Amino acid sequence: MTIDLPPGRPFPDIELRDHAGNRRRLSELIGGDPVVLQFFRGWWCPKEQAFFRRLIALQDEAEVAYSRIVSVSVDPPAVSAAFRAGLGARWTFLSDTDRTAQAELGLRETTDTLNDPYVPAVFTLYPALTIHRAYDGYWFWGRPTTEDLRRDMREISTEIRADWAAPAA
Amino acid sequence: MTRCWLALLEAPATDATAQAQVHDADGCPAGWLAAWRQRAKPVRAARRVDDRIVDPDGEPASISLVVPPDGVRLAFDGLAVQHARRRVLAEPPQDALSTLMRDSSHFEGAITVARGMGVARLGDDPFARIFPARILRVSAGVMGAASAPAGPTIERYGSANPWPWDRFDTDAP
Repeated sequence: MTIDLPPGRPFPDIELRDHAGNRRRLSELIGGDPVVLQFFRGWWCPKEQAFFRRLIALQDEAEVAYSRIVSVSVDPPAVSAAFRAGLGARWTFLSDTDRTAQAELGLRETTDTLNDPYVPAVFTLYPALTIHRAYDGYWFWGRPTTEDLRRDMREISTEIRADWAAPAA
Repeated sequence: MTRCWLALLEAPATDATAQAQVHDADGCPAGWLAAWRQRAKPVRAARRVDDRIVDPDGEPASISLVVPPDGVRLAFDGLAVQHARRRVLAEPPQDALSTLMRDSSHFEGAITVARGMGVARLGDDPFARIFPARILRVSAGVMGAASAPAGPTIERYGSANPWPWDRFDTDAP
């Protein structure tokens, strides 16, 4: 399978339930900031648990850097809420339990017919939802490192913040 | 962003955008919670809030109102205030919340709005670990419901904007 969401293309403005069960639209969650948009198999996957430790490490920087993180899986909201709490994550988890966004995005992991999960993928997006970079995480080393994500957030911020160069005398 | 002010008054205001009577946990009258959408500060006790939490058509709600003692202020960027914001993001969302402020640098309280199952959790308001909280019952007509902060941002988008307002003014639609 090939992920057909390349850089430069607009990412679909999906609407799903968050970990509290409320409908949330991706564009609303992003606001005016750069975002790390992560699709993961589910709470049960050790590779996802390892990758989440990267995101948790990034969280303490993202919370002061005007950047967002959004995680999406087919886990129900209650499961996402429990997983999120256990991780110590403070960003929004979205639940695609009926797999409508998964079908729209073409991000179904076809090799797992038991769980029918998302194929692991990470996208860094501009606030207008344009894809900056796409990472296919089917193999763990395909996933972005925290350094990759820092670079992407810096590159997007450089472009979208009109005052990126500090005003000085 | 529209400036929005909130104050707990002894009597109803004549010029509020929205207001409703307030009772304490024993059912005793505790004043009027009034909100104004205007640039100028309407009354001495008013503090700025995130505009999204005010709704003239809002249903009755319970609130946790955290206000510092007279003469006491904390830096908005103080570690205790930062950590309370983190705790808010980590816990299940309530119907609405906003920090309170009068200037661009001080934390001067918070309001959390709860309905249904959330009311029981008002006693665990993270901001109540900083200053005392009053749990009050507000009638219909002032407090709305707002989407939970997306997280993980704990910074304000412009120092004059109460958290969790979530975008710079230049980003406003």
